[in-house]
Amino acid sequence: MKYQIVIAGFGGQGVVFLVKLLAICAGNRNIAFLGTENHGMSQRGGSVSCDIKIGDFTNPVIDKNQADLMIALEKNEGLRNVAFVKLEGTMVTNAKDKESYPELPFKAFAKIDAFKKAENGEFPIQGLNVYMLGIALVHDKTFPFNLEEVKTAITQMNAKVAEQNIKILDQAMKDAKESK
Amino acid sequence: MKQTLMGNDAIAWGLVHANVDMVSGYPGTPSSEILTEVQKIKYKLNLDIYAEWGTNEKVGFEVAYAGAIAGRRTCATMKQVGLNVASDALMSAAYIGNLGGMLLIAADDPGFHSSQTEQDSRVFAKFARIPVLDPATPQDAYDLTKYGVELSEKFQIPVMLRPVMRVCHAREIIEMDDETNFKPNKGEFKRDVPRWGAVPRKDRFPQGKEQLKRMEVIKEYNWENLLKKEFDKCEGKNKTLIITSGTGYGFTKETLSDLNLEADVVKILMPYPLPVAQIREKLKSYDKVLVVEEPYPCVEEQIAASNVFGKLTNSIHQIDEMSKEEILKAFQNIGLYSGKNIYETPAALNFEVEARPPALCPGCPHRDIYYAITKVFKKKKAIYPSDIGCYTLAIAQGAIDSILCMGASVSMASGFSLSDPDKTTVATIGDGTFFHSGIPPLLNAIYQNHKFILVILDNSTIAMTGRQTTPSRENKNIDIKKIVEGMGIDCMEHQYSYEMQDNIDFFKEVKKVHANATGPTVIVVREFCILDRERAPEFIPNIFAKVDPELCVACDQCTTIYKCPPMAYNDDGVIEIDPFLCAGCGGCLDVVCPTDAFVQDFDYLRRGN
Repeated sequence: MKYQIVIAGFGGQGVVFLVKLLAICAGNRNIAFLGTENHGMSQRGGSVSCDIKIGDFTNPVIDKNQADLMIALEKNEGLRNVAFVKLEGTMVTNAKDKESYPELPFKAFAKIDAFKKAENGEFPIQGLNVYMLGIALVHDKTFPFNLEEVKTAITQMNAKVAEQNIKILDQAMKDAKESK
Repeated sequence: MKQTLMGNDAIAWGLVHANVDMVSGYPGTPSSEILTEVQKIKYKLNLDIYAEWGTNEKVGFEVAYAGAIAGRRTCATMKQVGLNVASDALMSAAYIGNLGGMLLIAADDPGFHSSQTEQDSRVFAKFARIPVLDPATPQDAYDLTKYGVELSEKFQIPVMLRPVMRVCHAREIIEMDDETNFKPNKGEFKRDVPRWGAVPRKDRFPQGKEQLKRMEVIKEYNWENLLKKEFDKCEGKNKTLIITSGTGYGFTKETLSDLNLEADVVKILMPYPLPVAQIREKLKSYDKVLVVEEPYPCVEEQIAASNVFGKLTNSIHQIDEMSKEEILKAFQNIGLYSGKNIYETPAALNFEVEARPPALCPGCPHRDIYYAITKVFKKKKAIYPSDIGCYTLAIAQGAIDSILCMGASVSMASGFSLSDPDKTTVATIGDGTFFHSGIPPLLNAIYQNHKFILVILDNSTIAMTGRQTTPSRENKNIDIKKIVEGMGIDCMEHQYSYEMQDNIDFFKEVKKVHANATGPTVIVVREFCILDRERAPEFIPNIFAKVDPELCVACDQCTTIYKCPPMAYNDDGVIEIDPFLCAGCGGCLDVVCPTDAFVQDFDYLRRGN
């Protein structure tokens, strides 16, 4: 298998959390995994993008026009990294003012105003990363892991907050299906 | 045993599995997590390991090096520019050598992600004449850490491990030892004055001759144990050979596979010293040889021949980090590939997006202090040298004029105050950087009566690299004010206040004191780091801000001089505060807005934020 995911956001949004989570998913199924993380200066609120390569790869970085999926935690960060996704791929993005967000020519494309949902108290903003992963699970038909595998990894990663994260994941999947 | 590890974690495990029991160094991206992970393993497995930060890289190196002289297995960790600081010790240690294994880890940062230079530590190893290992992945990093420690003990010389950021901060499922049977060497200093106390020229000259001989031996070792089998794998049916070092291997393999191309690929694990004669012999059977390495042409310079292409022949990029697109272009340049660029952005996906540079965190006291400094010491009549740390980000507030290297703010303040005495030089430095290399230049300034203002921003942590502890945090007897006083001058002290007027009033007082000074005026501002879970809560007043839209006149003051990330214009052209980002520091309520449009949001916490 070969599957490449870009996660885009800015420092503090929990992008690295998703890298670790999907690494656990891959490990549980004994599939090779290579990913990148951002530490140091790049964490200070600036643009952050992490690459995840699942399967037979030899370097951790995703080049342009290669990713099967992008999960964008903020609209501009999504647009900034859009060149890494291939047109046959999937993009899911958090999009404030989603009416003004351009329609992108990907095979599957979904935008959701997750900030507004958090502001309305529908889920805690700290769970934005897990929320957007839930949206991706619904829209990306070729996502390499199923819901149960993701939930297992969430529990393995941090049992203390697993219950809340699983709730957010379920909520996101429900929202994604309703808005489809 | 399979483990999902980040490269730096893999290196830490490698050290423990190589029975290294002394680790010293100085934090710096991308190396910082190595030592903290060793600390975590130490506590988790209850191992007797010394794993502590030094005050700077030179100190860290020397502590570890002495340990290796005394027979322990040791390690010094740092980033590539940290190696510049430790280089004096390294150059000499490379002559004298060690008894226990010593691994020097210098983590490089091709692409300038978090560094002021893109220098190649492999070239430094060549300069110092010590062997260097270049891992391609976290798995390599684990394996080569163990290998490097053994190699160092075998040849009695420090060995360098040079991981790049894409190894340090890559995550991979790796295979490592099932069990940790930690058996460190016993430390015992054996007196050998002609060796450990080698005096020029009598003792150093023979050590220099030994050094040359040793590198010849290691060259052969590199060939027999590492390189020969790499060349043996090549069957000779391809006319193109690609020689790779470190990450170059992984990027090259994928590019070849993506483009359906065939070429022989050799992976060099030890890029210095290279068995040049044997390699050149092998190169003869190829039409073209491409060298893929980063960031400098370290391997290429050693093996240069008429059929070798790379950075020196302008066939591949010479600056910035590795990418498959650059390798594809190199393939085109040497005639291996003539197809299209598959890594090009499709035209429909070309978007111009406003940059989002890193910024001081919301609620960071540095922002308010820099704001107060620029209010009191006006730009036209001031020079603001600064230093390396989070506070460097205040450059966005127009509060910093120069950045050079660790500790340079103080010595450059000397230079600026001497060369342009009509302006007031106000230098800023963090507490970590002051301890690292700010003390000798301050001593110099006091000794020479250089008239400038030095503001030491004391947040009791090395914040930028992940909040490692500072000497004064660990040992309360160490105090910056006392250090300054011990050098013979007064030290003014200020407790950061979220009420901006307090900070401004303090700097007005500083201005008065400085007017009558004949030497440097030194100030320590007691701050905290907003990300410091231990200390921040006692300082944060939980005063959240919102904007009164009637009062905002869109004057740009807050977005250009105060620069707090939650503040941005909304669609109505009025500033709005992003409630998800506001830290509740209350810093903007006073002075910052000329029309006082920032007001307290009393409902903030009640809304469930």
